[in-house]
Amino acid sequence: MNLLTVENLRTGYGPVTVNRDVSITVDAAEIVTVLGPNGAGKSTLLRAISGLLKPRAGRISFDGEDVTNLPADRAVSRGIVMVPEGRRIFVDMTVQENLRLGAYGRRDRDKVEADLRRMEAYFEILAQKRQQKGGELSGGQQQMLAIARGLMARPRILLLDEPSLGLSPKLVKDLRGVILDVKATFNAAVLLVEQNAGLAMSVAARGYLLHHGRFVASGPIENLRDDQMMRDLYLGAAQKVA
Amino acid sequence: MEIFLQQLINSLSVASVTILIGMGITLIFGLAGIVNFAQGEFLMVGGMITWALVMAGVNFFVAMVVAMLAVGLLGLTAERTLFRFTLTRPMNGFIMSIGLSVILQNVVIRTLNEVQKSITPPVTAVWTVGGVDIIAMRAIVVAITAVVVAVTYFGISRSRYGVALRASVADQDTAALMGIPVKRYVTGVFVYGSVLAGLGGALMIALFPITPFTGSVIIIRGFAVSLIGGLGNVGGAVVGGLILGLVDALAAQYGFPQWTDAYSLIVMIVILILRPQGLLGGTMGPRAT
Repeated sequence: MNLLTVENLRTGYGPVTVNRDVSITVDAAEIVTVLGPNGAGKSTLLRAISGLLKPRAGRISFDGEDVTNLPADRAVSRGIVMVPEGRRIFVDMTVQENLRLGAYGRRDRDKVEADLRRMEAYFEILAQKRQQKGGELSGGQQQMLAIARGLMARPRILLLDEPSLGLSPKLVKDLRGVILDVKATFNAAVLLVEQNAGLAMSVAARGYLLHHGRFVASGPIENLRDDQMMRDLYLGAAQKVA
Repeated sequence: MEIFLQQLINSLSVASVTILIGMGITLIFGLAGIVNFAQGEFLMVGGMITWALVMAGVNFFVAMVVAMLAVGLLGLTAERTLFRFTLTRPMNGFIMSIGLSVILQNVVIRTLNEVQKSITPPVTAVWTVGGVDIIAMRAIVVAITAVVVAVTYFGISRSRYGVALRASVADQDTAALMGIPVKRYVTGVFVYGSVLAGLGGALMIALFPITPFTGSVIIIRGFAVSLIGGLGNVGGAVVGGLILGLVDALAAQYGFPQWTDAYSLIVMIVILILRPQGLLGGTMGPRAT
């Protein structure tokens, strides 16, 4: 059974329809990517899955249960956790406060401290900057903090919205390792939205190509790579990951 | 100097009531973006409830707690039935709160009357400390407020709920992504702000007579202290209240006491011209997305 199933989703803001008839599945501990040019509706799709945006139509189910209209704060406790575009670190709070906030909705409070140490062991920079304000971190460090904060919720699926945005090629390479470890070490599935197709295709097993709010191609990454639509739309302008 | 010290403690007790209102205004604004003008009437209703209970023979401090709970319930009702629906349009909420304050004023006039109400001070002792006569009730008002300020401040800066509240103020969407039930926090600040107003009303009637129109005077001062400190900043409301208290004391001692209200508004205007964000810096209200 699929962990996440999105069926015929329609989303929009005000008079604008963004996504039409979008269907997607993600299995447990699978990395799936949604590709597409700017304005294709990738972020809106993630906002709908995370519960920040109510879908206009369609159905989202998670682990066999209907979560279509579940608000974000309750989706988190089911294990659907989003790391938003632009990282959205709480800049006036310390690194540690940011991490603890990630675990806000958890009931197993006794295990939160252990997870905190685990994050600090995995992301060493966060241990070094423990008491610093989130706003004092560099862009790359903030991205690591945002992912670690997301992992503090013990997600079963982590929705990553443009994590490579604004990162140097060296940091994009680090990020690639972290995304693979979200699956391998932290046992969460990943739904990755990326403009950096090189990065996305190097970590994901499957992908969907979104254009004007609809999927125009989907399948295993190898097939997508050769898809003509994909080439025309997208790959020409994309950077390569080293 | 002794007289000034006495005057200062008197002014601090008045400032206490203003601080309680200012903290409520600033907490609600910080999270919901609404300046709740009905906060003054909440205080007046709290004072009236205290008056009615004390007149019925209830101990003042019991009446005070009942007033806090009753006004808290009033705030909960107002949030659930009115303000919840204007969260995306704070300006509508603001206008609604002005309407609500007029309604509350008239309800009180209808059920009671327009005559001013007073109670005999629950504590009548006068303490002499180092040659300064301190009216005990005023000191108690200052002490209760100090405790409430300390609890609020540490609650916001240290507790799990305080951190979640600050996160919700900073970025509601991201707070929700942390699993924080932001709407419940909105309800929470409305109720807490209302409880503070109820307390303010009880403390006020222990010091002065009040009328159904007291709220509209006190809200201006409460709004002034939250603006002086920086709207949305709880510490700022306290600092703003203390500054107004000091200005009041100086005015009463060395200036024209009948100009007290004018002085506080002049201070507000000067500070806002020199430092538009308030002394401690406020928030611009919650982020929309």
